Amino acid sequence: MTERWNIPLMLAPALIIIVGLFLGGLALGLVGSFGYMPFIGREEFNLDAYRSILSSEGFYRSFLLTFHIAFTSTVIASAIALGAALALRRSFYGRTFISFLFQINLTVPHLVGAVGILYLFSQSGFFARLAYEFELISKPSEFPAMIYDPLAIGIILQYVWKEVPFIGLILLANMQTIGKDYEAAARSLGASRWQSFRHVLLPLLTPGLLAAAMIVFAFTFGAYEIPALLGQNYPAALPVLAYQSFTHVDLHARPEAFAMTMIIALLSAAMIMGYAYLSRRHVRT
Amino acid sequence: MTDVTLEKLTKSYPGADRPAVDNISIDIGSGSLTALLGPSASGKSTVLKMIAGLLSPSSGDILFDGRSVLRQPPDKRDAVLVFQEHLLFPYMTVAENIGFGLKMRRRPKDEISSAVDGMMELMQLDGLAARKPNQLSGGQQQRVALARALVLRPKLLLLDEPFSSLDANLRVEMQGLLRTLHAEFDTTMLFVTHDQEEAVALADSIALLLDGKLRQHDTPDGFYARPQDRSVATFFGAKNFIEGQRQAGIFDCAFGQIRLPDNAPVGGHTLTFRPENVKLVSEAGGINSFPAIIKSIQFLGSQTRLQLTSSDIRFEALVSPFSAASLQSGQQVMVQLPPEVLWLVP
Repeated sequence: MTERWNIPLMLAPALIIIVGLFLGGLALGLVGSFGYMPFIGREEFNLDAYRSILSSEGFYRSFLLTFHIAFTSTVIASAIALGAALALRRSFYGRTFISFLFQINLTVPHLVGAVGILYLFSQSGFFARLAYEFELISKPSEFPAMIYDPLAIGIILQYVWKEVPFIGLILLANMQTIGKDYEAAARSLGASRWQSFRHVLLPLLTPGLLAAAMIVFAFTFGAYEIPALLGQNYPAALPVLAYQSFTHVDLHARPEAFAMTMIIALLSAAMIMGYAYLSRRHVRT
Repeated sequence: MTDVTLEKLTKSYPGADRPAVDNISIDIGSGSLTALLGPSASGKSTVLKMIAGLLSPSSGDILFDGRSVLRQPPDKRDAVLVFQEHLLFPYMTVAENIGFGLKMRRRPKDEISSAVDGMMELMQLDGLAARKPNQLSGGQQQRVALARALVLRPKLLLLDEPFSSLDANLRVEMQGLLRTLHAEFDTTMLFVTHDQEEAVALADSIALLLDGKLRQHDTPDGFYARPQDRSVATFFGAKNFIEGQRQAGIFDCAFGQIRLPDNAPVGGHTLTFRPENVKLVSEAGGINSFPAIIKSIQFLGSQTRLQLTSSDIRFEALVSPFSAASLQSGQQVMVQLPPEVLWLVP
């Protein structure tokens, strides 16, 4: 066996998982979305599932809600992560400990975080009880609804809590690579602190920030468990709607579930392409 | 143009065994072109960053035209620093880079545009306005970095090893350009270099830093003719140090009674002279002449290095290859040290 086969062979386990599970699943989903389900006697290809969901008001409501969750949590998490990364790159007493705290929830599973949000922010949760104790509210229903609410505040809180350190760590690594000399050059050329951030550091960070934000957006757009646990029933987030259709007793609803997942996958692919395009435009030397 | 004074300037970093910059006092004359010379880690870039306001001194003061600027942030000092790595903003075009400082000062767009055009013409950057920095050569990047600083017409221009990343030919070209720009702009210029030849070729005055301390601030020829101590002389290429005793205008050493120049420092007890100032003469009897044996001959291109010995004292001479053509190792020659090329160091 020649040496040139060593690397492909070493990569094979990972490739089998990626190609077999991911691309295979995607192909099956695509076929299913065209209505091809021979095990229930549907052997023709059509666009009925797409027609059906695209003419359904519920789908659009779900789509908008999902977009709102993904967009809002990505923007808020990015802004907080940027501020945190800027603070953490300075040297101050206790920086190591605060950096550790900043990263710690990366290891906490999403579901555990969601349970925490539930206990803290629901109308019978910790903060509601605190508000009641301090006589800010007279009954639980007066506490603002943040769980199972139409604005999906609980879901967004959970995603922000979880994604801030992810984006923050990417930004911190980027800041370390960039260093402080570009900002020093800008200051020396007459830029104020704000101007050197706005006109120098931010553009240099843009590719990294965009990459992290795109990943977070794609993930939050396609994630099922948090909206299932913390979201309202109608409209449900798109992945929840897809799952509901997939597990519906009527197997004829399954192509619609596949069609929805294809739309989610398409949007994720668009995110990746968008990132690639933007990062080319903002490429650093 | 501004007069820059450093008063007992010191910078210490936590955990370091000695200050990076140690009690430096120096006056940099208005409109001068001064070199801050020293080997790596001698503190010269730290001095530059403190003057630019990018580092705070641990103690001491920095005065522009007699006024302390310590409380002024970098953007208010009107002292622009050009970094060794150029640090052109990679996402901006050449024109945007040059106009950056003016934009930060909120100057009108047409004023920025005309200033950038003028600077690009002056720096021979025509046709490159729309290029990104990664599409430029090293020399072009250096020109853009200089243009970006000079377009602001700063009172003080600070340059940190500006030509160290350029090849030899380009470095000479850029040195010429810097001298031209210094003549053209009313700007005090202070540049950092580790290359003594560059410092001598460019600067009106040189401040030599060794181990964070200012060892000598003088004109370029002063470092050759009047080094303050042995380490300064060594940094500037002196090889010959002869121990002896000074007696009035005479230095009594292994070579005999060597006559000194009138301005030789009183406290010195080591005679130094540069290899290129050693003369080979045909006859004995001249002032400060004595016999020596050639130990080795090394052809260096434009010069020939002779290792000589006299009374068991080794010393070095640099002569023209033409005059060295007939010399051989082991040969005895007459050597003369004219008094005006001699100097004493402690």
